[in-house]
Amino acid sequence: MSKVMAAAEVQVNVLFFAKSRELVGSKEATLAVPAQTTSVQLLAAIVSRYPSLAVISNNLVLAVNQEYIAPGNDLLTLHPGDEVAVIPPISGG
Amino acid sequence: MSTVQGKDHIKLTSDQLSVEELTTLVTSPTSGAISVFIGTTRNNFDGKKVMRLEYEAYETMAETELRKICGQIRERWEVENIAVFHRLGCVPITESSVIIAISSPHRRDGLDAVRYAIDTLKATVPIWKKELYEEGEASWKENKECSWST
Repeated sequence: MSKVMAAAEVQVNVLFFAKSRELVGSKEATLAVPAQTTSVQLLAAIVSRYPSLAVISNNLVLAVNQEYIAPGNDLLTLHPGDEVAVIPPISGG
Repeated sequence: MSTVQGKDHIKLTSDQLSVEELTTLVTSPTSGAISVFIGTTRNNFDGKKVMRLEYEAYETMAETELRKICGQIRERWEVENIAVFHRLGCVPITESSVIIAISSPHRRDGLDAVRYAIDTLKATVPIWKKELYEEGEASWKENKECSWST
């Protein structure tokens, strides 16, 4: 008998800012995502849950626990309660 | 290795910014120069009249990134005190959105550090500006320094 293992998932807090906040209609949300992931996959999971972000998804970066995550395929480990921020192009100063 | 020990003063506030408040914070008897940058709000973009600007920040991360910039400055230049204040919320035209003041024993270090501070702020600190135009539309701006701009 084969046993099916679900990939371990964690609940993360997602924060939306600026244009992404307007498109989603909310400043924050919780999302279940795989604990082992990459920046590319994590962004895809967020856009999949919030398709209104698709129009700007090519110009978003993510931060986890207030540190930027380099866009790409480097392995990323998430923990329950991690803070994931969706960051559109910045315009401070 | 820097011979002067100084303080970093970082503030995000919806209050009107005062350059005198910052220069007072960074003034020191061991510094011969105070270098200052003030970013102010313009009334026009692309032929459109800007009514006002609204700033939003990921505040906890913005403070962290600003402190990193202070650390980078201290590694490269001999400066004493650094103050960076950024305004949030509504900023009327001609008022200041950001003020950076740095005291240093000699002026070259302070001037170079201030330039580095504003250039790096525009590239890395999670703050966003929305322009509201006379005709009613609005637009989120994107710094050209930001590597993920459109």
